[in-house]
Amino acid sequence: MSSSSATLAPPVAGPGRVRQFLVTPIGAQLTAIVVFIILWQLVTVIAPRVPGPVSVAQFLWVEISGGSHGGVVTGEFWEHFAHTLRHFSLGLLIGFVPGLLIGVLIGSSRIAQALLNDTVLVLLTLPAFVWAFLTTMWFGVSWQAPVLTVAFASFPFVTINVAQGVRSITPELKNMSRAFDVPRRRQFRHLTLAAVTGYVFAGLRFAIIIGWNGILLSEWFAGQDGVGFRTRYWFDANRYRGFVGWVIVFIVFIIVLDRLILNRLQRRAFRWRDPVETDADQVKLEQVGG
Amino acid sequence: MNMARVDIQNLKKVFPAPQKGGDPVVAIEDISLEVDGNVFVSVVGPSGCGKSTLLNILSGVETPSSGTVSVKEGDRPARLGYVFQDARLLPWRTVMDNMLYVRDDDGKTAQSSAERYLEMVGLNHTGEMFPGQLSGGMQQRVGIARAFSVEPDLLLMDEPFSHLDAITARSLRDHLQVLWTATRKTVLFVTHDVVEAVQLSDRIIVLAPGGRIFDDIAIDLEHPRRAADPKVATLQAEILGRFEEMHPSGTANLENLV
Repeated sequence: MSSSSATLAPPVAGPGRVRQFLVTPIGAQLTAIVVFIILWQLVTVIAPRVPGPVSVAQFLWVEISGGSHGGVVTGEFWEHFAHTLRHFSLGLLIGFVPGLLIGVLIGSSRIAQALLNDTVLVLLTLPAFVWAFLTTMWFGVSWQAPVLTVAFASFPFVTINVAQGVRSITPELKNMSRAFDVPRRRQFRHLTLAAVTGYVFAGLRFAIIIGWNGILLSEWFAGQDGVGFRTRYWFDANRYRGFVGWVIVFIVFIIVLDRLILNRLQRRAFRWRDPVETDADQVKLEQVGG
Repeated sequence: MNMARVDIQNLKKVFPAPQKGGDPVVAIEDISLEVDGNVFVSVVGPSGCGKSTLLNILSGVETPSSGTVSVKEGDRPARLGYVFQDARLLPWRTVMDNMLYVRDDDGKTAQSSAERYLEMVGLNHTGEMFPGQLSGGMQQRVGIARAFSVEPDLLLMDEPFSHLDAITARSLRDHLQVLWTATRKTVLFVTHDVVEAVQLSDRIIVLAPGGRIFDDIAIDLEHPRRAADPKVATLQAEILGRFEEMHPSGTANLENLV
């Protein structure tokens, strides 16, 4: 009877249920957020110049809904956000396409690797703010500066990852394909493309995270619009709740993008490398004597 | 039933000297060999006797320096299947997709045929799994099923069990025998293990260092053969004894040869 005692136990009362929820992964994540907000509120008590969570939330509501911040200044969230997204996508594209091509080159040719690998490594170590400074010096206040900052910052991450993917296509697998007379088109699809896909997503994910940092800095220095520009606008206006509000927007956007899309895409493309072993798989393995 | 006719006459293969000013390397001195019909033939010999070179010439990866080689089914070139030392599966494709990757056709027929061959090596239910989820022995079983599933006229196997532990290798030999007894392909099986060759083959070609045929032994026993079968064990002992007679200096020499 002892084995069934768990199911025979009386339904858990209110407080017990809360406790059970708190130890689930989602419960723990929510707890962390709540604790952070409480700590944030406590900090504002000690340091009154730090804007509290409530005043930041009020600011964001006005900014997003297009309400009045007082005087002639109105909320302009969507204009700036869309502006940044456009520049960000363009910069990412400009960094991604050459990154992909040069990655394939480095991965498949030893000479290309010897020639280009060090350069890509140097680019990899350069922080995004260096590109933000350089492009501002080259182009001044312009649309080119943020776009190229994203392109330069993301390019080496795509290159390195794609090169690694191409290198995972071993001579043994190529020989096997030739020995079985596998048609070239099928080789390209199932050997080359399939090998590289996961690495492309991994590279893209890093590129997006790094590029997103770069665009904030670049718009801060050289933007006339955009998330970075608006963050600086409130900073210069001594309105710190505006500054903190935009920083939160910036962080939340990249976290949501990563959690909901990028991380999932990468996990899916790398299913073969890090398979989640399900109970069903385990049963199958036992059936075939693994 | 498809079967191949292998005809090798005065085959010689010399590789250029690995270093400037060195001597060219003679991999195969002079081999003449005919294999005809639904037979399992093993090629046994020590490292460097030209076993792999012979297989590479048959598969067209290498060309002969002189002599002739033909592998035919009737009047047309024979369709070849391969089993390598390691499984050589695409890690990013499922077991089923790996099976279909090497086939001429696709669709329902190909799928059910692939399933049938997986079942013969005891791997039904693994079609949707990735190679990384399988053990080394299971991966090699997929490799064997894949080679049989292209319905080859001639199957070339290059020491397919040499990377596996003894117990797994023994179980894979049993799977191979089940498959072979059911399909009776012409097989050319390269190995350095005489005991394995006796259990599997109808005929054993022994190569000597330098690339000549040292002996050609017929094994007349029913298939499939169990390793523990006294008849198999007796024959294995007898053939090992023959090697010792050829090399009277004893086991050290035998190990060098076999």
